[in-house]
Amino acid sequence: MGIKDRLKTGIQKNLNQRYIKRLLGIMSVKPVLYAYGKTFPSASDRYLNIFTIESLKKAYSGSNRPVGYGSLFVPFEMFYALGITPFLPEVMAGFTAGLGLAPQTLKEASSNWYSQDLCTFHRSASGAVELDLFPRPDYIITSNLACDAAQKSFYMHSLKYDIEKNFYLIDVPYRYSEESLRYLTSQIKNICTDICSKTGKKLDISMFEEAIKLSNELRKLAIEVGSLRKTLVNYPPSFNGLNFIMPFHGLAGTKEAVILYKEIYKDLKKYLDKQHKEGPDRNKPAKRILWLHLKPYYRNEIFDILYRENCRVVFEEINHVYWPELDYKKPFESLAKKMLSNFLAGSIDNRIDITLKAARDYKADGTILFSHWGCRQSNGGARIIKDSLKKLNIPTLVLDGDCVDQSNSSQGQVKTRLQGFIEILNS
Amino acid sequence: MTQDIRNTENPDKIKNKVNDIEYFFSSTLSPVNKKGAIGWFCTYMPEELIIAGGFIPVRIFGRKKIIKSESYFPINFCPYIKSGWESLLAAADNFRALIFTNSCDGMRRFFDITSKYLDRMPSYLLDVPHLKNNEAIDFFAGNTGDMKMFIEKLNGKKIDDKDIENAIRLTNKKRRLLKEYSRIFNKLSHLIDISTYYKVMELSMISDPEIFMDNLERYLDFIGNIDKTSTGNGVSLQSDHMNSPAIMIIGNFIAEEKLWEMLSKMNLKLASEDLCTSNRYFEKQVVTDDNKNLLKSIAERYLNKPQCMRMANLSSKLAEIENNIVKNKIKGVIFITLKFCDNMLYSFPLLKQRLNDMGIPVLYLDIEYNNFSEGQVKTRVQAFLEML
Repeated sequence: MGIKDRLKTGIQKNLNQRYIKRLLGIMSVKPVLYAYGKTFPSASDRYLNIFTIESLKKAYSGSNRPVGYGSLFVPFEMFYALGITPFLPEVMAGFTAGLGLAPQTLKEASSNWYSQDLCTFHRSASGAVELDLFPRPDYIITSNLACDAAQKSFYMHSLKYDIEKNFYLIDVPYRYSEESLRYLTSQIKNICTDICSKTGKKLDISMFEEAIKLSNELRKLAIEVGSLRKTLVNYPPSFNGLNFIMPFHGLAGTKEAVILYKEIYKDLKKYLDKQHKEGPDRNKPAKRILWLHLKPYYRNEIFDILYRENCRVVFEEINHVYWPELDYKKPFESLAKKMLSNFLAGSIDNRIDITLKAARDYKADGTILFSHWGCRQSNGGARIIKDSLKKLNIPTLVLDGDCVDQSNSSQGQVKTRLQGFIEILNS
Repeated sequence: MTQDIRNTENPDKIKNKVNDIEYFFSSTLSPVNKKGAIGWFCTYMPEELIIAGGFIPVRIFGRKKIIKSESYFPINFCPYIKSGWESLLAAADNFRALIFTNSCDGMRRFFDITSKYLDRMPSYLLDVPHLKNNEAIDFFAGNTGDMKMFIEKLNGKKIDDKDIENAIRLTNKKRRLLKEYSRIFNKLSHLIDISTYYKVMELSMISDPEIFMDNLERYLDFIGNIDKTSTGNGVSLQSDHMNSPAIMIIGNFIAEEKLWEMLSKMNLKLASEDLCTSNRYFEKQVVTDDNKNLLKSIAERYLNKPQCMRMANLSSKLAEIENNIVKNKIKGVIFITLKFCDNMLYSFPLLKQRLNDMGIPVLYLDIEYNNFSEGQVKTRVQAFLEML
């Protein structure tokens, strides 16, 4: 049994916060951490896993207070500038799937009256909160960006931990306008000021400047990585762009994110250089897939099937850099602009614009929209997205499934539908 | 006519008359629509501005069976939205325009679908904040100003302050009358069927407000007299129903006629409610002030009315519910949600916990729309009432 399987089995058998802390304590000892890192075939995967463990260790340690829960699309630059150790429950829900813990967390959520019709990212996270698996937060910052779920489930967490007064909802307007920008900027500034008044620290603008400069570096590197991928076909083994959602958001504003994206760039550049040297496979060029939404985080066959069938996921919408370069001299306004620029805010046209652009830029032969159970905001737009891509003669597969709950996704059906779609691409 | 009924001592006859909607609301029910209708969906949409623009605000109830709509939305999607879309696909010509709100993820996507596939229909989405502090009120007032411009463009008529003032007066009066109706209904719940009550509520949202209010005043006059009579010598108008435990219904867009008819036939005393189809619509007046901008007054009312579960602060929502439970001596709560309503589903664990703390039992029902499975729901409600 390899180290990863041992970890998985250990945590499944000892599902409690104390064990998680102990495990993270052992894992984050440098030699162990690097030995663990070496089990990953590429440098980017290695750094991704090392930084993730270090980030979790900080949140769980108890000595890096305050800890703040953040939902995926809040600007984490503000956490780092305020000295808050971030913790991302939605990302952790993905881990519950990967570690095989979701059956227990989802069961716990159900027994606490969370309906099975709700998104499993939020249900699993809520179950984990009920089971006391997550570190206790001091602050919770969430937004209505993308979907209704985070603001509700995070609010419940604030009540569970009795920190309702430290719960902040960033209310992101539907449209991007001067008024919206003012409204949002003011909210972000007020939240930061309020947290400072509670922590007794002075609002340190230089910390915001630093976080925003680092965030801009990440942005620049992510764009460069995206550029490489426009022609790249063969990727490092086990590379999956859908794994980088945590650093792309949760580490924005840190040196770690910059290091990681430099590694991703180097890894992919190496493969692109090799590809250029060997020349394209003209006999059987790979089919290029644009991926929308997320993926199942438990063990599944989707990407193996695609690889075997000579299909490559050339880009994922979640890796799209949607925001402009941030002005570190106007930190609050910049972060507000970042949020308002999110293509999942407002009209579906925002998402369609970036989808069509990505389809053209990455020369997509087909698109797969993973239809995660309970994700109304994404699935509700599937028909329009499909019809819009059809106008470019790009077929779309709306693949029903569940990112977290394996029992809510039929592997056989997924396989059949994927194969049917691949036949269309090859016809 | 009123006198005849008051002198009649047959409670059945009185009950039949009280529930004769077609008689009392004959003008409202006549299909006359000269001003043009603007369709709307959510109680956060300020009707005042539609009226001020010279249009009739008509809430879309989506009574159509879902057939074509299935190909536009996923399976696990709000059945009201699907049904609303089905209605629009069948009869969009009934509307001059549509106004949506960003109430929830579903509504945002509904607006997108309408904008794409009914692209000749003028449609607008009003951005409603989730917060209700002063900044949110100012922001919302600005958004209603934008909505006003959308309405002005429809018929090229500028909406001035006088138009808005008149519309506020009219809408406030409708709210007052509906509140009075709700009060009498709670008192005479043995006479007024639940289905009648909600039918009147529905009419208030889909009809010319002046014609409706005229009918409602006449109706209130009639039932108000019965109320006085029964207060005087009410023994003959009482029933076992009066001794049944007081129930509160909490839900979202619950407009299921078969459900109301079913509940009307049961020994259920509906003493309080928290629904998009009743109190969230009529509670709280727009208070104007000479020094205040009218749009701001409207924004204040809408953000501070009994809130939908979509709003940020669920604790204040729970406080509203708790007050109603105490005030109306509620013994049990029926929580009814349309399937796949995330805002409702997320609020339930919290509500359940609070109700447990208060010692109030709750029945959880999630239902489809226009596809009501009466047998199953009836059994569960009966068991719940027996338990109480």
